[in-house]
Amino acid sequence: MILRPIYGVIEREVVKTFRQRTRLVSAMVRPLIWLFVIGGGFGAVLGRASGADYQQFLAPGVVGMTILFGAMLAALTMVYDKESGVMRMLIIAPFAHYWIVVAKTIAAALAGLIQGVLLLVILAALGFLPSSTNYPLLVLGMVVTAFTCAAIGALVSAFTRTLDNFAAIMNFVIFPVFFLSGALYPIAKLPVALKAAALLNPFTYSVDLLKHAMLANPAWGSASELHASVDVLVSVAFTLLAVLVASWRFSREQAHEPFIHTLLGKRGG
Amino acid sequence: MNDTSAVAFDLAVRAHGLTKRYGDVLAVDHLDLELPAGQFFGLLGPNGSGKTTTIHMLSTLVRPSAGSVQVAGRDVIRDPVAVRASIGLVFQESALDRTLSVQQNLRFAGLLYDLAPAVIEERTRELLELFSLNDKRDRPVGSLSGGMRRALDIVRGVLHRPRILFLDEPTIGLDLPNRRRIWRFIERLRASSGMTVLLTTHYLEEADSCDQVAFINSGKIVRRGAPRALVEALGKHIVEIEATGLAALASELELRLGSALVEGDVAMFRYADEDTSALAALQVELAGRASALRIRRPNLNDVFLWVNSLR
Repeated sequence: MILRPIYGVIEREVVKTFRQRTRLVSAMVRPLIWLFVIGGGFGAVLGRASGADYQQFLAPGVVGMTILFGAMLAALTMVYDKESGVMRMLIIAPFAHYWIVVAKTIAAALAGLIQGVLLLVILAALGFLPSSTNYPLLVLGMVVTAFTCAAIGALVSAFTRTLDNFAAIMNFVIFPVFFLSGALYPIAKLPVALKAAALLNPFTYSVDLLKHAMLANPAWGSASELHASVDVLVSVAFTLLAVLVASWRFSREQAHEPFIHTLLGKRGG
Repeated sequence: MNDTSAVAFDLAVRAHGLTKRYGDVLAVDHLDLELPAGQFFGLLGPNGSGKTTTIHMLSTLVRPSAGSVQVAGRDVIRDPVAVRASIGLVFQESALDRTLSVQQNLRFAGLLYDLAPAVIEERTRELLELFSLNDKRDRPVGSLSGGMRRALDIVRGVLHRPRILFLDEPTIGLDLPNRRRIWRFIERLRASSGMTVLLTTHYLEEADSCDQVAFINSGKIVRRGAPRALVEALGKHIVEIEATGLAALASELELRLGSALVEGDVAMFRYADEDTSALAALQVELAGRASALRIRRPNLNDVFLWVNSLR
């Protein structure tokens, strides 16, 4: 009963992901710029030998970044849908409203995952996937990351009425989530406050899982800083909780009621 | 409570004491409505009268503050999902994805209603044909004209073959040729499916083709009946007298013609006699004081004006 509608939502998201080709291309360019410009720049500062190592260290973070942006931006279209006709299509459909958030989260995770896989192919071609890569764990890591990031997006969407302040979401959500994780640097050496923030950030655990998979060479030693099972547990728990809260908030708010309110003025219509 | 299978019903809508309160504002005030299945029903009223809120409550989108409502045989509060499976909704704001094509939109809408892809394809073909949208199949919806978008919205609304169709001001903002086109499509649909249609509008020419209409004002139904009967109850003619400084003249005329309805420079009176020859004398009398005297047949517009003047 609910499967076809969920499939419909997913299908629409995938169609849109592949249709917006320039967006897809820039979604690939962004992480590559980070990898070569930031990675190259800091790598040079760190010295020749560690330089190359730093770019390799950055690879999981960059894959994570691609999935983060992909999944979060896809999930945020839920807010845009409220302003366009699409949310109306969803709330008049014959299924309970809390499924809308679930369907959108799955769709957004898939959108993020697709972009992550595309980037991975590029990274492999550029030699950033060493033979020691743990592929099964990488698949798990990417899926977990995709759902975690989609869940963050769903949570933000449920509490956001309009995308007019999208810049605020970028600056106060997406960038802090990315910077306060282990994507760019090991969290062990961070000052206490930032380290605490990083440990509260669900994305940290996703990136760590990706490090487990991509930096599996024992020479890396402590590149990944938490136990893989802890990473999976925290990510899954966060995802479930976030989707639950977002669904509850969404069906409580009854997305359309405040809209009707502003349209009607004094006496209803 | 997840059984959305259709139940048989003879009342498409049964509402009793339907009420909606927004803070201290009573948008809908203990409204009663019984709508037999298969009827074409019009809910008429000015902006702010409560008609849109009523339709939103009937379609499960707004929770009633009080009252009981059954739509298509199911309770709106206990079984909203089952209700939504049996109804189609077309609102003033379109429920379409403008970035997707016509066909993609209908596929998406169909999947949301749990229709199999083959069924969606077949009905898409049939409906696009009926609404003359076939050649627009792969066009992005954003590139369609307002009239075509509205037609597509109605296709979307009936794709799942609902037992009841709710149309909230379906032709608002459209030019006359497009409005006529939309109405032809709806008539064809009704003729072939026996679908109940509940319409809100403030275009009273549209209301004329309804089986039954109800006038809503301040959240209550103030008059209901068949359009023809309501118009006939007004009288055989409407007499319009136009003059500057109407106030004094109007009260004088009220003694002879009955209560007046004044709109700007025009005073309207109901005239019960078929034979208007007595008015010729009046016309001569008013020669200097009134600039025009017109006699015409009453229409639903007049019912609307007279109903609202009682408030």
